[in-house]
Amino acid sequence: MENNNINIPSTPTVLATLFKADVATQISNRRSVIITLLVPIMILISWKNFAQKIGGPYVLSSAIDIGLISIGLMGYSLSLARDRDKGIFQRLRVAPVPTWAIMFSRISIQLLMIMILNLVIFMVGMQVDKVTLPASGYIVAFFSAFIGGAVYLSLGQLIVGLVKNFETVNASVRLVYFLFIMIGMFGELGLLGDYIKDAIRWTPYGCVKIMLAASMEPDKWDKDATRAVLLSLGYIVVFAGIGINKFKWSTK
Amino acid sequence: MTTEQDEYILKVEGLGVNYGSFEAVKDVGFKVLQGEIFGLLGPNGAGKTSTLSAIECLVKFKSGSILLNGFDVQQQPLQAKASMGVQLQSTSFQAELNVIQILQLYSGIYGVPMDTEQVKALLKEISLADAGKKKFSQLSGGQQQRLSLVIATIHNPKLVLLDEPTTGLDPQSRRQLWERIEAIKARGHAVLLTTHSMEEAEAVCDRIAIVDHGRVIAIDTPQALVDKYRDDPEVIAASRRGKITLEDVFIGLTGKTVRA
Repeated sequence: MENNNINIPSTPTVLATLFKADVATQISNRRSVIITLLVPIMILISWKNFAQKIGGPYVLSSAIDIGLISIGLMGYSLSLARDRDKGIFQRLRVAPVPTWAIMFSRISIQLLMIMILNLVIFMVGMQVDKVTLPASGYIVAFFSAFIGGAVYLSLGQLIVGLVKNFETVNASVRLVYFLFIMIGMFGELGLLGDYIKDAIRWTPYGCVKIMLAASMEPDKWDKDATRAVLLSLGYIVVFAGIGINKFKWSTK
Repeated sequence: MTTEQDEYILKVEGLGVNYGSFEAVKDVGFKVLQGEIFGLLGPNGAGKTSTLSAIECLVKFKSGSILLNGFDVQQQPLQAKASMGVQLQSTSFQAELNVIQILQLYSGIYGVPMDTEQVKALLKEISLADAGKKKFSQLSGGQQQRLSLVIATIHNPKLVLLDEPTTGLDPQSRRQLWERIEAIKARGHAVLLTTHSMEEAEAVCDRIAIVDHGRVIAIDTPQALVDKYRDDPEVIAASRRGKITLEDVFIGLTGKTVRA
């Protein structure tokens, strides 16, 4: 019985290797990246003429909110469900790799996507909608986008935690995405009645939207914005708590 | 002085694996010696893959202990994982990565990082020199197996675990894989494999354990098992051509009923 000659790579080496592979995967999935950016950009372009009427922060926060939903649900949860279905996680788990490192790398990629989304939205907003924010607005909105992104990433984690079958996850995230866009966006504009408009304010969509819009004008930060941040943090804790607890690495 | 403890690389004792209330593995015990090819044989659902999954730290076991290269797989999973190479039953790698990227990923997480030139040299060794830019799904079954096997041994592990490695391979690819498994043994590694093929067990395994209903029911060399059970009425009844084979012993011990 021997226990020599083993080589356990350091955690930074493992994280760097996993991250490099996940970046290569993301680059190969260019279409999904484009689709993630496309819908928010379409919102910015189609609302071009309203931007000055309804306010730049409103337009930008709507676009970022929709993009964050896409990243959390379509990007994160679908990739987890697919890799779990194909046994890729099991193959990684038999290597001398802490399991948290596998997830950490996946989440890091989504955080990178959130950064790209923000930059693209701010640039398109500036060029197309002529919306400019104070420097503090850009900075605070950047951080708020990470909290908002975490809300949808944890919601994606909740879905893959509760649903094992890839096809069902696929259908579920598309349904949730559709509901957030249709009911969230149109409801918030009052097109679905006052009751829906009020109810939407404190849903994940509404909270992220309020938080983002307030972040873009830090001088106008109010109680509702604080409440939206606290509720967002609550959503993250609950969704991620259940999602991580219920998550299975294999569909078998 | 060399003791028995010095010789084994894997010791499984009293292993019990449950899935809910279902007992998939019950009190399984065996040892794999250094430089040995050890086969786990059993019908579908016998508990082979569950036993392997417990060794691979993929499932938590209810009872028993597993010592791999001196490391308790539950207490020191990273050390145990670093001591073993694994080829899972259904091998799959990231669909978006090409062969070079896959090899760089796994060499990195096994602590033996390779640059592109080193990967290309390795691919040449396994006759995949032209496949570097291909995706895993674009490789043939035999090529996929070769790649999976080279990944399983990339860090020079003490023990290589192969779960039904020749399933779906044509005879040429199967023979080639047997040679590669024997080459692993020649380099001093131990191999633990599961298989449904009696031909494979006889061809490559030094010792085998027959598993059924989650228990080890026989364990020895293939020839010793044939010799031991040749007079067993169930084995004789299972014999099709008069001469007792390992398959007859297997059918005689596990029954003729087809498992799901």
